[in-house]
Amino acid sequence: MSRRRKVGFWLVVLGVLHGIILCAGFLAPCDPVRQDRKSPYLPPMRVHFLDARGHPHVRPFVYPLQLRPGTFDQYVEDTSQPRPLKFFVPGDPYRLLGFFRGRVHLFGADNERIYLLGSDGFGRDQLSRLLFGGQISLLAGLLGAGFTLLVGLCVGSAAGYFGGWCDELLMRLAELFLALPWLYLLFAIRAFLPLSVNPLHAFFLIVAVIAAVGWARPARLVRGVVLSAKERDFVRAARGFGASNFYLLRRHILPETSSVVLTQAAILIPQYVLAEMALSFLGLGVPEPVPSWGNLLSNLQQYSVLVSYWWMYLPALGMVPFFLGYLGLASALQESPDPYKIERRSLGSLA
Amino acid sequence: MRYLLRRLGHALFLVFGVSILAFLFTTLAPGNYFDEMRLNPQIAPETLVALRAQYQLDRPLPLRYASWLNSAMHGQMGFSFAYNAPVAPLLLVRARNTLLLTITATLLAWAIALPLGIWSAERLGRLPDRLIGWSTAILLVLPDLALALGLLVLAVRTHWFPTGGMASVGFESLSSFNKFRDLARHMTLSVAALVLSALPLLVRHVRAAVAEVLDAPFLLAAEGHGIPRFTLLYRYALPAAANPLVSLFGFSIGALLSGSLLIEVVMSWPGLGPFLLEAILARDIYVVIGGVLFSTIFLVVGNFLADILLYWIDPRIRTETPSA
Amino acid sequence: MEPILKVENLVKRYAKRNLVGASQDFLALDGVSFTLTPGTTLAIVGESGSGKSTLASCIACLEPPSSGNLWFEGRNLAQSAERDLRDIRPKIQLIFPDPASSLNPRWNILDIVVEPLSLQLRFSRKERDLRAFVLLERVGLSADMAGRSAAELSGGQRQRLAIARALTLDPKILILDEALSALDCSVQAQIANLLLELQSAQGMTFLFITHDLAMAAHLADEIAVMSQGRIVEHAPSKKILRSPAHDATRQLLAAVPHLPHKPGPAIQP
Repeated sequence: MSRRRKVGFWLVVLGVLHGIILCAGFLAPCDPVRQDRKSPYLPPMRVHFLDARGHPHVRPFVYPLQLRPGTFDQYVEDTSQPRPLKFFVPGDPYRLLGFFRGRVHLFGADNERIYLLGSDGFGRDQLSRLLFGGQISLLAGLLGAGFTLLVGLCVGSAAGYFGGWCDELLMRLAELFLALPWLYLLFAIRAFLPLSVNPLHAFFLIVAVIAAVGWARPARLVRGVVLSAKERDFVRAARGFGASNFYLLRRHILPETSSVVLTQAAILIPQYVLAEMALSFLGLGVPEPVPSWGNLLSNLQQYSVLVSYWWMYLPALGMVPFFLGYLGLASALQESPDPYKIERRSLGSLA
Repeated sequence: MRYLLRRLGHALFLVFGVSILAFLFTTLAPGNYFDEMRLNPQIAPETLVALRAQYQLDRPLPLRYASWLNSAMHGQMGFSFAYNAPVAPLLLVRARNTLLLTITATLLAWAIALPLGIWSAERLGRLPDRLIGWSTAILLVLPDLALALGLLVLAVRTHWFPTGGMASVGFESLSSFNKFRDLARHMTLSVAALVLSALPLLVRHVRAAVAEVLDAPFLLAAEGHGIPRFTLLYRYALPAAANPLVSLFGFSIGALLSGSLLIEVVMSWPGLGPFLLEAILARDIYVVIGGVLFSTIFLVVGNFLADILLYWIDPRIRTETPSA
Repeated sequence: MEPILKVENLVKRYAKRNLVGASQDFLALDGVSFTLTPGTTLAIVGESGSGKSTLASCIACLEPPSSGNLWFEGRNLAQSAERDLRDIRPKIQLIFPDPASSLNPRWNILDIVVEPLSLQLRFSRKERDLRAFVLLERVGLSADMAGRSAAELSGGQRQRLAIARALTLDPKILILDEALSALDCSVQAQIANLLLELQSAQGMTFLFITHDLAMAAHLADEIAVMSQGRIVEHAPSKKILRSPAHDATRQLLAAVPHLPHKPGPAIQP
């Protein structure tokens, strides 16, 4: 497969994955914050096609779970009242993309709750929380990476293009940021910001913190590309036609950085999702009841949860397909990091 | 020698720079330890003012930095509000534990990554290479957190390894061999999580670097001279591929330090990670600054070691002349 | 005739930093002076490292000289502010040695030729395209290539494209910095003839920079020989070929290939 097709393939994969998370409201069977105090730590319900007597059913169904007598967290299937799974059923209201209101869910069981991935200590549906949590975590990763790359692009091109003391100052600062292990830096910056804020503020706070941590590496890479691009003859030629600095940067120099920036994006986004997870896991990020991939896992810090309820671990695997997608994209992009090099090589063989 | 001096100067610049940066960040802080205390009705406002003055929080930033620097020179690095004790001794204990973890993990990860990477490069495109490629890809897409939690679940379910802490009850009464064994058993989970998280990247880079060198004409010539395969790989190819690997070594220390922060909290290893988290939640700023600075020093020292290693391996740096 | 360009005692100094940080000066141009008569061609000849390319960059206002004067249209370019230079630069155009790197490989041919005009905001979009097509035809590139990428062209075609691009601005002076050296002999001859044609048609002034004395003699009215940042000899072409006065000139002459039966420099067609 050519590089172009590989990149296209991984972009499609990532598009589908992000589409799933984007449509969380429709795909999730219920509201991620709706509690059901009667069924804490419900194990995942199994989807059946055969009923208790062995008769096959066209429509799959689940059995509701009941506490086993004499225990407080052991459940058994109640085979007397199967709940058939139905598609496109009305349920909890939600908003798609923030403004399309909807009530129809992909699947559900008329007015009864089903827990395909079990429930947490408040009886909230883990599958719904996983899907909605992805919205928070991925958005944090995407926004964070976007800001980081923007800052990196500005700083890197300013340092590389104008040079002199500006370059010296910015690159020394970048070295300081690179001298810190990044998670420590993340903690340090987070440490000096308010601890308890509402979920929306907390979200933007951690996006800002995450974005502030990583600008140094892309800035250095962009600077390198700009430094070599500005000495290219076509840039000097354009200057000879009376081009301004802004024109040169915009039309000739910044397009040269595109492959570096894209590759960095594919590397940074999953890293930043991980950063959000780490912060929220440790209670420094998005607070309950809003779900995020990080705070879904924070339950596991309790020994009893870790030992008894294995399905609480499932959210940890939620981002594996996303990481796979971004890893594939990054390596496809890196295959020939600079289109110009290929160009030059083919030119060389012509000359 | 000039090269090493230059790197040393650079390292000192970094440590100083980070300490100044950390202090600048403290001005961003909207609250401090005593603000939380103010909510406590049992403490009189006058006491708070006195405390603030005692800890110099009411003085301007440059003065605070100067007095902090002074206390750092005397081995204190400021005062912890929560512990009511100098920061440095508190941190040293934790830092030692973190170092124990990261150094073990670094050495182990490299000890595994080098032969695996070389083996993979030697069999480029063949079965071992592909197996290694797939397994590193799987490890690469597993987030650190998932890996650590998974290992923890495994340990809890199987009881193969103790979870939490770094010593069993009655550690002091054990013989020194048993002390070592006990420590090793407590470390296993954390080290395994760290090694597994760092391994895939290391193996891939070693493979790429060695594979590039193996193509070089001088190695083909050496092979033609009948030099044995093992000597060829480890005495000829590896040093030639060392340059990018040594900078990767520095990078891996940083990655493992970051990783250990999270893994220490998950595994309740009494290192810098949980301590720092606690200090952040308590707004104990000097402890946070100290912890960040310690991690910087580790990383800078690690990179300096990498520079020395490079100086030792790469003759081009040793013969570098001032005019070059 | 009144000279179009007057170069007086031009000096370009580069600071070379060594490891300790102390700077050592390197003189790329060491007091260069000459004048350029309109409608003629002056060749600057010298071996590599003699400062020819630096001279080209300084005259094209792409690099500020360290000292000296550059008189052009009554203004001293060496002392002008960046803002004024932006108006001057289009009048003195430079053709770079390697056409592969002087054309942005991401752009198509039409965009490349039109770029100078759109930068100067001359003419409407449609007129610009029209002028571009005329110039492409003039340098021997067909207009239906316009949508292709520059990377698809051969070396000679690329250099013609670069010349067409420089001509869009009707420059007073065209500096050709080793513009033919990277090309094959036959292509060199084609482009040399194109240049001669342009000169006789438009009365353009050329500054032809090369290490090839034979090509210089073919194209230029006068030749200035450079060595180590200085002009060591400056005379009409024929005189230089017949009676070289300086060692550097003689060395360059010796490098010209010639047939054994035909004494003197042979000019390749």
